[in-house]
Amino acid sequence: MRKGVLEFCILSIIKEGEAYPSDIIEKMKAANLNILEGTLYPLLTRLKNAELLSYRWEESTSGPPRKYFSLTDKGAEFYKELETTWFELANAVRALTRTEQEPIDNNNFNNPQ
Amino acid sequence: MVPIEVTAFDLLKNYTESLNRHFANEEGKEEIINDIESRIGELFQQRINKGATCITEDDVNAIIKNMGRPEEFETMDDTQTASATSSAGQQESTGSSSSSTGHKRLFRNENDKVLGGVCSGLANYFNIDVVVARIIFVILLFSGIGFLTYIIMWIAVPSSSTEQIGGSRRKLFRDPDEKMIGGVCSGIGHYFGIHPWIPRTLFLLPFLSFLSRWGHWGGFWDFGDVIRFTFSPTSLIVYIILWIVIPEALSTSEKLEMKGEKVDMNSIKASVMEEMKGVGKKAEKFGKEASTVINEKASAMASDVKNFSKRNRGGLGNVIAMIAKIFAYFIIGCVCFAFVMALFGLGVFSVGIFPLKDYVLRGGWQNFYAWGTLILFIAVPIIAIITWLIRKIARIKNNSRILSFTFSSLWAIGWVCIILLISSIVRDFKSPSRLDEQPVELVNPQVNKMVVTSSLPFTKKYYGRNWIRFEPFENLIDEDTAYVRNVYVEITKSPNDSFQVTMKKMARGNTRADANSLARLIKFEVEQKDSILLLEKGIAINKTDKFRNQMIVITVYVPVGKQVRISKGIGWPVHIGSRNWDDNWNNDYYDGEQDIRWQSDVDYTMKEDGLYTLDGRKADGWNDKRKQKKTSDTNADEDDNYRYNNEPLNKIDSIKIKLENEKQRVKDSLEKAKEKIEQQLEKFGNNSDNPVPLSAQSPFNNPVMNIN
Repeated sequence: MRKGVLEFCILSIIKEGEAYPSDIIEKMKAANLNILEGTLYPLLTRLKNAELLSYRWEESTSGPPRKYFSLTDKGAEFYKELETTWFELANAVRALTRTEQEPIDNNNFNNPQ
Repeated sequence: MVPIEVTAFDLLKNYTESLNRHFANEEGKEEIINDIESRIGELFQQRINKGATCITEDDVNAIIKNMGRPEEFETMDDTQTASATSSAGQQESTGSSSSSTGHKRLFRNENDKVLGGVCSGLANYFNIDVVVARIIFVILLFSGIGFLTYIIMWIAVPSSSTEQIGGSRRKLFRDPDEKMIGGVCSGIGHYFGIHPWIPRTLFLLPFLSFLSRWGHWGGFWDFGDVIRFTFSPTSLIVYIILWIVIPEALSTSEKLEMKGEKVDMNSIKASVMEEMKGVGKKAEKFGKEASTVINEKASAMASDVKNFSKRNRGGLGNVIAMIAKIFAYFIIGCVCFAFVMALFGLGVFSVGIFPLKDYVLRGGWQNFYAWGTLILFIAVPIIAIITWLIRKIARIKNNSRILSFTFSSLWAIGWVCIILLISSIVRDFKSPSRLDEQPVELVNPQVNKMVVTSSLPFTKKYYGRNWIRFEPFENLIDEDTAYVRNVYVEITKSPNDSFQVTMKKMARGNTRADANSLARLIKFEVEQKDSILLLEKGIAINKTDKFRNQMIVITVYVPVGKQVRISKGIGWPVHIGSRNWDDNWNNDYYDGEQDIRWQSDVDYTMKEDGLYTLDGRKADGWNDKRKQKKTSDTNADEDDNYRYNNEPLNKIDSIKIKLENEKQRVKDSLEKAKEKIEQQLEKFGNNSDNPVPLSAQSPFNNPVMNIN
């Protein structure tokens, strides 16, 4: 996994709404992005310690209470930064690898240029 | 509760151990492990809910496969941690800290070291060149702080090699299995590979001698013996600090690390088998979980608040904040250091005067307050600050809330103790006594010259300036009696032609009656032997009567034309002229210090208008002298020549005076010798028929002696 991509994915999932770690795993699996659950927890803790995420406890019917993560303001800001760099990168890669006939469709990405 | 197979539990335990080791360097280690454990617990619960009777080995394997083994996510870990640090706000510097792993911690760098690796560790931590760090340290070394700092950091900062996962290097832990008190000694024993009883004896040795000394001396020490005296409590304090600072070896891998065995799956498995008897621990864990939930809810809320306040910091702002932080830390450090030193001084001082407490305190509650003050008010903050510093340096984070709460509440109790102690002591010293002067019977009031001296002269005049002295207490402590040198001598003119001596006893107490009765209890012998007036060495104070600032004022009435001399050995202040002691006798003590400028071992003659030295200079009263001192502060050696301050003398005059002085001295000694010889003769000659008349009832009667 490239640097920051995993964080980017996680943050974008959490941005959609509060998320429980196994939800995140499910969603990533659904997007065909397989990661080990064991790697997710340290990542979440690091993001939380960097004050990008916050969480609250919720009682659960099955087992111990669950942590639900949500984005902080700082996290939202950081997400925006990640997003722009990601799309810059993606565009750059696409521009390099595209075949001549295929024009780039810029509209989907909020490219700053 | 989840039923689980023994083998499955074994497997699970191994797994959590491996996770523990993998995240050993991680900041939120506990949290991560907790999250994973609770997730596993949830999965177990789901399995049970689906109808399984018991968690089997297969179940655990499936879960672990889902979660991933630490080795599996180790490969991706480097990139992840790097991105995590970069996500913490410094995206630009992507490749710069490739060697440092994860969240930065201060380590001694074992790979690049000259002495202990402290400098290179610091350089790594602050992202500066090693050479720069070393140069700074060498400069600090010259200023004297560097050496101590280096040693402290060498000890306190963990070495990088000990932190490597699975490293076979030993780590210092407290051993909960072989502990006597806190497991500190056995932990040290494990660390150095020696029997735990060796460090134990080292700790106990000073303590034992402390006890034996206590027994021998009935609780009293000579003051000079500071080192041994303070040493034993020091070992106790060191133990307590180590107890707080060193983590307990709780998990199996920690225990193995403590013993220096290599941590791998097999060794863990072997030692886990020993622990297998206590499967019931699982239940405990669930109980703990509930409490962690509450704790973490609270901390999540706290971090929310922090989030809010910590936003919006730009690059330049960061630098300024950093500088401000360093500056603030420096100031706080200085203040802390001064505070610790002051407390330490206070501690040493109060330990020093502690043996005297029985002479002052009434026992019971006051005793309790005194101990409370010593331990809670003085010792606790010292321990707390040292602990805090070490924890700060070693970056230990858990439990600090409990610690700080304990320390601060103990200190608060200490405050209460000291306030109660002081107020109760003040109450005991509230009212002064008022007793009349009593005449002292003189054997021979008709002598030509009176020499005032003490029966046990203080051979060392500067004894009183010893490092520790509780003001009036002299260094003379017997088994159960302390001597107080609150003795003052006054010299004044006699109304008739014979010497008179009076004694005034004073004390303080809760009420005037108390004070008076205490003053009456003072036993102070004044004895005349020929021309010598012998005073006792001090006021004896025993533990039952207590010290209530008992005080003796001896007034010597010198008839006109006769001589008086205060011998050097007397050691306490002498006043000339008389004063009203009842009014302000308490602060006069310090005025009295100035009166030492009245020269001892010099003869003075009483004339109509006061005392004169033999060469005709007037000996000033204490009042005049004080004025004089103010005007002539620049005079460095005023002790020697204050008498010449009034009017400058030329050299010839001073030589004359010296000669005359010398003459007088020779004359005096001759006279003395004559007296002695005559006395001897009288004793030999007419023993029976002409006994020396003993003192009459009152010294004012002037019994006649025909010696001369």
